[in-house]
Amino acid sequence: MKNIKRMLRMHRIFVSQEIKRMMEYKGDFIVGIIGFLLGQFFNLLFLWIIFSQIPSLVGWTLEQVIFIYGFSLIPKGLDHLLFDNLWSIGHFTVRKGDFDKYLTRPINPLFHVMVEKLQIDALGELIMGIALICVTLPTLAIEWSVVKIILILLVIPFATLIYTAIKIATAAIAFWTKRSGNITYMFYMVNDFAKYPVTIYNNFVKAVITYIIPFAFTAFYPANYILTGENPLFNIGLTVVISLVLLVISVLIWNRGIKAYESAGS
Amino acid sequence: MIYVENLRKEFKKTIKDPGVIGSLKALFHPHNEKVIAVDDISFNVPEGEVMGFIGPNGAGKSTVIKMLTGILTPTSGKCTINGKNPAEDRKNYVREIGVVFGQRTQLWWDLPLRETYGVLKEIYEVPDDKYKKRMAFLNEVLDLESFITSPVRTLSLGQRMRADIAASLLHSPKVLFLDEPTIGLDVVVKDNIRNAIEYINKQENTTVILTTHDLADIELLSKRIVMIDKGKNVFDGTISELKSKYGQIRELHFETDTQNADKVLAYKEHFGFVDDDISIKTEGTGVQVRFNSEVVPVSEMLSYTLGKININDISVKDADIEEIIRRLYKREV
Repeated sequence: MKNIKRMLRMHRIFVSQEIKRMMEYKGDFIVGIIGFLLGQFFNLLFLWIIFSQIPSLVGWTLEQVIFIYGFSLIPKGLDHLLFDNLWSIGHFTVRKGDFDKYLTRPINPLFHVMVEKLQIDALGELIMGIALICVTLPTLAIEWSVVKIILILLVIPFATLIYTAIKIATAAIAFWTKRSGNITYMFYMVNDFAKYPVTIYNNFVKAVITYIIPFAFTAFYPANYILTGENPLFNIGLTVVISLVLLVISVLIWNRGIKAYESAGS
Repeated sequence: MIYVENLRKEFKKTIKDPGVIGSLKALFHPHNEKVIAVDDISFNVPEGEVMGFIGPNGAGKSTVIKMLTGILTPTSGKCTINGKNPAEDRKNYVREIGVVFGQRTQLWWDLPLRETYGVLKEIYEVPDDKYKKRMAFLNEVLDLESFITSPVRTLSLGQRMRADIAASLLHSPKVLFLDEPTIGLDVVVKDNIRNAIEYINKQENTTVILTTHDLADIELLSKRIVMIDKGKNVFDGTISELKSKYGQIRELHFETDTQNADKVLAYKEHFGFVDDDISIKTEGTGVQVRFNSEVVPVSEMLSYTLGKININDISVKDADIEEIIRRLYKREV
């Protein structure tokens, strides 16, 4: 308990540090915001063009597809917003020996790396995701219950964790190979499949994104539960289990990796 | 306080043929070679001592420091500091140590310096009242006042180093590791930093391990030297021991109007010096001769020189530590 309190406190401090940092370069910050708004606008335009050509997709209505797409952006955006700094491990932190700093401080290095940066760009995904959900929700006949709402709120952090765990595991490869940014990227790109109903894919792709790189659990399966109310044990329960299993595996890889870390000459 | 026993660190290195083709070949048929960076190093440091840790570039100093600070896991051997094993009990251990790598910084680059101390206070859980006192103390010793509100990226190297040392001392560590803390600094800043280290060592009985290439740092700060080369212990003892053991080098300096004095004197041929035992430098009318006084006693050198050429002025100097180290570095171990 004391540990969690300290972690939350440290998180708050790192976030405030990050915000101060952004304010230090106001021009960059403002241009960044403008760029991100423009980017989201074009994204939306693109989606609208695509979906207006496809009235329905293997039994899924246009609104349902957009809802799933919107839902997929929430866990992705949360992970992107909070834990984006893991990318830097695979790209340069390990290779340049800058990881030293994390090891000489009395906090868990993984936690330190994860919360050190805040990726404001991710707000775009989150806003977009929420907007798409809000627009489609009234048109979908969804049955609501208290249990359902609780389950939905519960599943979002776990779905986020799937992204985070995959990033931790692939970033940790850098401890051996010195560089693993592209491996992370390769895994990360698979998530594009998860934005659409899994039922549209052939069995191979379906199996891969369900059991091997389980991005389907970050979007389609939970969203499927929201839409249909079917199979909570699989759609929600397995999301939780898979995310926890992935987290355990990735932390194990990470910890082994730290022992193999070689720093860099100085 | 610090016990290092038979410490060893191996790295794996992939050997590649040159060029793109070589890199591609190594991708499919990697040929690995074991590199021994640290080979059986042992030493102890008692509490409150400043130990000078020296050796040529690539000797393995930084690798040892990184094992002692918990950054690298030793391949074999043991180090115990404050009764703790850095690699096994890292989180608790690092609370008791401060680390400065002169070539890197742990300061928050984009923010005013003060913000770094604010975060480190939280990381090390320093209580408010202690933090205030500590900052006042560090400010007094390292004179941070004039730049504490400036963003770190705008600091000069000297300011940054002082700031980094202060950052490593914020939590009052028992052991301080300084890896080249005076690198690239001007004479005045070097003096400031040496004084600060000395003051903190005296005031708080902090144990200090210091690596440097500036031997003045060592002479001013530490009585004890551990020297390593190619990953192995070469020397462990006090500076005076080093001088008496290797300090047979004397420096003879004289002014002469004899042309080509070094040719006329021909020390090497006359006394049978080997390469390492003598070196001669001529500058205008001044000649500087460094020689091993064990091979030829000073008196003999003097009388020979005085008898051979016309001398206007002559002096004999003790070897300085720099010369001893230079010879030790050059010598194959």
